[in-house]
Amino acid sequence: MGILSADQIREVVRARAENRSVSDKKVSDVREEMWTLHDRGELIVIPITPENKPVEVETLFGWKKKVPTDKLWHHKSCGQCGNIPGYPASLLWFMNQFKTTYLNEPHQTSCTAWNYHGSGTSNPVALAAVAVRNWYRAYETGTYPLIHCGTSYGDYKEMRKVLVENKEVRDKVREIMHHMGKELVIPEEIVHYSEWVHVKRDEIASMVKYDLKDVVATVHEPCHYYKMVPEDAIYDSSVLGGQRPAPPTALLQKMGVSVADYSTWYDCCGFGFRHILTEREFTRSFATLRKIKPMVEEAHADVAITTDTGCVTTLDKSQWVGKVHGMDFLVPVLAEVQLAALAAGAHPYKIVQVHWHTSPVEKLMEKMGIDYQSYRKDFTEYLNQIKSGGKIEYLYDPHSEIEKYFAVNKGQVIVEEQALKRGE
Amino acid sequence: MVVEALSVLRNLPARKKEEQAEPSILLGGSRDLGLDTLKLAQDIYDQFTADPRYKEYVLGCLNCGECTTGCPAARFYDFSPREMLQVAMSNDPLVLLNAMHEKIWACCQCYTCNMRCRFGNDIAGIISVMRELAVKNGLDSAKEVLRPYTRILLKVMTGGTQVSPDMIQPDFFVDWGPDAVSKASDLKTLRKAIPIDVLQVTDSAWEVSMQTSLELFQIYQESGVIDIVRAVDPDLVEMITDIVDEWREEFEEMKEKYGVR
Ligand code: SF4
Ligand code: SF4
Repeated sequence: MGILSADQIREVVRARAENRSVSDKKVSDVREEMWTLHDRGELIVIPITPENKPVEVETLFGWKKKVPTDKLWHHKSCGQCGNIPGYPASLLWFMNQFKTTYLNEPHQTSCTAWNYHGSGTSNPVALAAVAVRNWYRAYETGTYPLIHCGTSYGDYKEMRKVLVENKEVRDKVREIMHHMGKELVIPEEIVHYSEWVHVKRDEIASMVKYDLKDVVATVHEPCHYYKMVPEDAIYDSSVLGGQRPAPPTALLQKMGVSVADYSTWYDCCGFGFRHILTEREFTRSFATLRKIKPMVEEAHADVAITTDTGCVTTLDKSQWVGKVHGMDFLVPVLAEVQLAALAAGAHPYKIVQVHWHTSPVEKLMEKMGIDYQSYRKDFTEYLNQIKSGGKIEYLYDPHSEIEKYFAVNKGQVIVEEQALKRGE
Repeated sequence: MVVEALSVLRNLPARKKEEQAEPSILLGGSRDLGLDTLKLAQDIYDQFTADPRYKEYVLGCLNCGECTTGCPAARFYDFSPREMLQVAMSNDPLVLLNAMHEKIWACCQCYTCNMRCRFGNDIAGIISVMRELAVKNGLDSAKEVLRPYTRILLKVMTGGTQVSPDMIQPDFFVDWGPDAVSKASDLKTLRKAIPIDVLQVTDSAWEVSMQTSLELFQIYQESGVIDIVRAVDPDLVEMITDIVDEWREEFEEMKEKYGVR
């Protein structure tokens, strides 16, 4: 056989492509079609209003995206709340500093996508209905959903696409919602908490109390933030040349942290959904060898920073066992909002809850200039106070007993006085 | 000329009908499989190719391997996303069934392959579709893989969150080190010291209201998920149904107590 011409090779490739072509792939802006369906009465778009004080950003394709900054509904993450409680607490702490109004309720389920990606025990109708049920709760309370988890964020963008493009799924989900006395709603934008942090970076940086220039941070970008539905992630040409997502690097740079590069920045953390729970030999090998080792040996990281649940868990928890192989790294792993809260003077134990982390954060705090010993003493006393039935400190007034059962308070956004009180 | 080139560049496992009786490289052995297996394979293949996501996710393949170079699972398992895409395009029910037994479960669902694929394939997505079908058709391999996962399924299908603080027990998480597991000893107090009321629980990531849990169960029922899970674990479904039945009774009592209609 002789050498093929370019045309012949193209022919070969076309034939092998099984009569399908990349032109079948829709990368159109799903938001346009969504508004058309809203106008036709097929669904209701939850709009971002001036009350949400939106800030405009650019995404990978140069598309504009509105990030609401006020009147928010916290869509919590099960992995954060379960194992890294300082993650949501740091976020809520910042919101209190900025007098941001929000609801943080028991009337939310997880997106269930952790389970789906791990086990396959769900389907598009169920995943979309779970998403809509949660979105509807924000809608009926007049707030806007802010998604804490990267997987929920990726999953909800996929579900938005499915609901817009697949009439069969849309009709079935609407029917299920009607059975529950709810409507089929979709938020105007799917917004990750790291995007809120990103647009608040100037205000956050202005609160920093310590000199952070000697702190070296490596960034792990969560796959489900920027690889799952890439066109929706925030990029900024002034941050890393626009070659990587802007959050959380832009915030770190604003805070004066030295952000260092390492060769495997593009790799996943090894979380794997089912793997972190039942195939941990894979997870810990990948996390240690492909992420932590290069971060330490190439970048000399003082801290690894990321913006998602599974990544904090994996990178933090997988390190201890590395000692067996002489890899005694124990690099602290924090969400960007936790590092920012530490730098802004939040209590390391009561708010940032660093004691839940397996790779100790104390050495980092020392380098930042935080007197963690006195904070720790204070926290130990607080624990004793709790044990003896003493007063518990809250970021907002606790819910009433009836809300253990019923999603009451429809149409009531968090009262102004409470927001003011929190800011005191 | 083109036909000749096609045969030289032959790189897909797709084979003609008469070839399908031959040993398959991918299957690594004889095709002397019973009629039941052939029927099961054909059934699953039909469900697979009829799924609307199939046409959307599988667009073609250059066999370039870009997907595999970034794949975390490919580093530690006998697995590659390129192979999975080839399997999806193979037109061979037995090749598909074989991959569904073990290989599909290696994937971490990180979507790195999707980001790198110049054809725009949704490889992570098509692997998820294969997993759904493995569960839905009650494959033994799916039962095996999901056995240690039962507790998570129970959590998510009743309480609505997937993990809980009390899951970090020393017996299971010894490799996370003494600091992680020591939390178990004083968990209640440590949870109370979180300044967010709904997080002050130990058996759930956050306290989910009963109405919300019941609505989630209704979604699982009406979307057919309960039936899907029943195919791999009927006992689990029975357990979940019992719990939800009890909750329904309690919910009615609470309606009376609080005067909620
Ligand atoms: S999604 Fe799965 S197949 Fe794709 S790169 Fe990640 S682990 Fe590999
Ligand atoms: S990157 Fe895409 S085209 Fe290349 S081998 Fe993988 S699936 Fe095929």
